[in-house]
Amino acid sequence: MIKSILLVDDENLFHLVFEDACSLLDITLDLRSLTSSDEAAKLFSEWQTRPSGKPECVFVDLNIVGSSFDGIELIKKINYEYGNGVVVGIISSSADKSEIEKSKLAGAQFWIVKSDDIEPRLEAFKKDYEGYKKRSADFKVYKF
Amino acid sequence: MEGKFKFSKDTEALFLDMFKERGVKLEGNVLKIIDTDSEDFKEYITSAIEADSKTRKKRLEITRQIQDQNKQLERQAAENDSLMVDLKKAFEQAEGAKLSALNDLDLLQRKTQFELIGDIVKVALWIIMAVGITTTILYIVALSVNGSSPDTTLIGNTWSNLLGILLTNSFSIIGTIMGVKYASESNAKKQDKE
Repeated sequence: MIKSILLVDDENLFHLVFEDACSLLDITLDLRSLTSSDEAAKLFSEWQTRPSGKPECVFVDLNIVGSSFDGIELIKKINYEYGNGVVVGIISSSADKSEIEKSKLAGAQFWIVKSDDIEPRLEAFKKDYEGYKKRSADFKVYKF
Repeated sequence: MEGKFKFSKDTEALFLDMFKERGVKLEGNVLKIIDTDSEDFKEYITSAIEADSKTRKKRLEITRQIQDQNKQLERQAAENDSLMVDLKKAFEQAEGAKLSALNDLDLLQRKTQFELIGDIVKVALWIIMAVGITTTILYIVALSVNGSSPDTTLIGNTWSNLLGILLTNSFSIIGTIMGVKYASESNAKKQDKE
């Protein structure tokens, strides 16, 4: 089970879907959801000095409406500005190849395609999680 | 599982009583980290986890339905926007066609009016000419038959008066027609400017 997860997604309804799916699949007991990348960046900046409450894994939406920067930019900031130490990836309804490549370059470890049936993808991600944590697993797109 | 905790016997009894008396159960992720040695409380926790799982599944289903409805609404809103743009275009085209039709109608009316005026002028002038020629012929006949008769003098005066009246009338008709034509053209120019 993942110790703690941070979800950054502008869609509040998806927060509920993700929370219920994580609970049903026993993925985590500690889930925090944010609607803006600015808020997430601020928290990561604070966690640099006080790491208490820092999540173990971060799921970031690609397009975060109402934020100063998108998901890929947030992943870049997490990896290169605020120090690494978290498993981080994209969760998006898009499966655009160029965006996937960009996210890889930014340091994303996975890409989960959002759909009506998210549970099988999260279950597959749960199986691969240890590899991501140890940094031994390759970048993977969870699409089917 | 790591990090599980146990309630005291009294607390477990309290939760069991609460369930028996009021039907209230614990719910949420906390159920997954409770450990117990009591069979009764274990059963309680298992049933509470099942109930929580059912509630979450139901909520997940409803949330998905709402998500679908939202997507559908967004699609419909986009379609409506596109329809509104098409409607606006069609309305503008219809307005243009209406203006063009009104202009055509106005031109047609003016043309018909001028044709009618032209016909009236032609007929009036023909009548005037016919009356003038007829009376002149009659006067010439009277002069050649009996030029010195007082009746011929009377006919001469009458002819002279009649010719004067005919000429006055013909100029009056032409003047009126020219005036009407000028007024119509001025009105048309004013409408075009507006």
